[in-house]
Amino acid sequence: MLIAGTLPEGKMPLTIGEVSLTDTLLAAGGRTFGCTQGTGTMITAALTVTGYFGLKPPHVIVAGDMGDGKGTKEIYQHLPELIDKIKPRVLVLHYCLPVMAFLKRLCTSVRNLPDKPFMIADAGAMYAAKAAGLASDFDIFTPDPSEMAFLADPLATHPAYVSKHLFSGNIEEVPAQIAAAFMNKAAAKLLLVKGKIDHIAVSGKVLAIINSPDIPHLEPIGGTGDTITGLVSALIYAGLDPAHAAIIAAKTNRTAGLFALPTPATTAVQIIEQFPLVLGQYWQEWTSNQLIATLTAR
Amino acid sequence: MKFRKEKEEFNEGGIVLFKEVSHAIRGEKVVRGKGYEVKLVAPPPELRMGCDLALEINLVEQAGIERLLKNTKTPYVKVVPVKKETSELLEIVLITDFGEWIMAKAGNMKLTFAKESRRIVNISGGGCPDIPYLHAQLVGKTLAEAPRPRELGYTLCAMMLDRAFVRCLNI
Repeated sequence: MLIAGTLPEGKMPLTIGEVSLTDTLLAAGGRTFGCTQGTGTMITAALTVTGYFGLKPPHVIVAGDMGDGKGTKEIYQHLPELIDKIKPRVLVLHYCLPVMAFLKRLCTSVRNLPDKPFMIADAGAMYAAKAAGLASDFDIFTPDPSEMAFLADPLATHPAYVSKHLFSGNIEEVPAQIAAAFMNKAAAKLLLVKGKIDHIAVSGKVLAIINSPDIPHLEPIGGTGDTITGLVSALIYAGLDPAHAAIIAAKTNRTAGLFALPTPATTAVQIIEQFPLVLGQYWQEWTSNQLIATLTAR
Repeated sequence: MKFRKEKEEFNEGGIVLFKEVSHAIRGEKVVRGKGYEVKLVAPPPELRMGCDLALEINLVEQAGIERLLKNTKTPYVKVVPVKKETSELLEIVLITDFGEWIMAKAGNMKLTFAKESRRIVNISGGGCPDIPYLHAQLVGKTLAEAPRPRELGYTLCAMMLDRAFVRCLNI
């Protein structure tokens, strides 16, 4: 698995390597970086799951970027070569400045590979993929409801320019937005829409909804969407089929929220710390066919 | 495998409108000088508000480019999406009351503060690279002492966070 994304550390140079976690810092390529924000949170979630299953840790390609796009440019310049070198089965693109030209070049490179990786995008990479008309090159997007509205708006190139009628915050409109996005070729093959109710949709149709346990305090916690992206990425890397991985990712995140007893001031790392407990308690139950049958029979 | 060095048409969705050609030329010099990819273009007729020259930008970088133009006293009319049917920048801010905390949501950004201390306890949402940085700069500070997201950020996510921040200041 290869994870690409920016870090909020302006002087952090381009860093490539297998990632590990030491105390409160991530380490790769001889450098350390924070695990509490954005890409760092997503990497920590994925690493926790690969560690739990005894899998090889993810490779990462990260660089500091404060919003001016310098780190983003470095990552996308080196990414095709790195993909060619390590041939990841799963490629995850995360925080970055949404520059359509970078995504176009990357997707052109990946399309020509004999073994195309399983492609997952969230955050800025998802914005750029949709805006550039490349969403259908991806296997999974993990939007929240406001980002789902963005995917459903054929004219928006960023969630800040979404049509007002789509930005209602009404979770009941999500299935129609999923269908619209898929029809406009603005959706990945599978959408995991993370929110008060999680929707898992394949080819524009809702396959499962996850609404329990209901932990409202997860919404204000920065990074609780990044944790879901890390979870689903690692579960696919572990060998689960995409829909099953998405369902278990959503269930794990919610249950970790239940275990952590969060307030709006809780951190995403405190949620991630619960993952091994959740997987230890529920993995067997959730990997039985019963869960899939129950959730997809709606 | 390497990127092909081909000349691509720059089309990242945003355009800065100017009243005078000299302002557009100055704007191009100032913005390009800071490393942004930009291109002088003729504005579409339906967007023309002054002169026949405009600056094409990556719309996502609106916040940083507008701040740069203001700081260098480069006059401009406004920044708009190139596609004329695109909706305007979202202005709706939704409020959720969590008892001891209040969350303000603007577009894809959410800011939460404690009612009693007025301290920012969390920021969530967004996908641009300045958001994790803004999280580190704002969380833990009171609304009164925290910097405005638009003063530190570069992107549309930062602009949305600024809207949520300003709404919280007024609660």
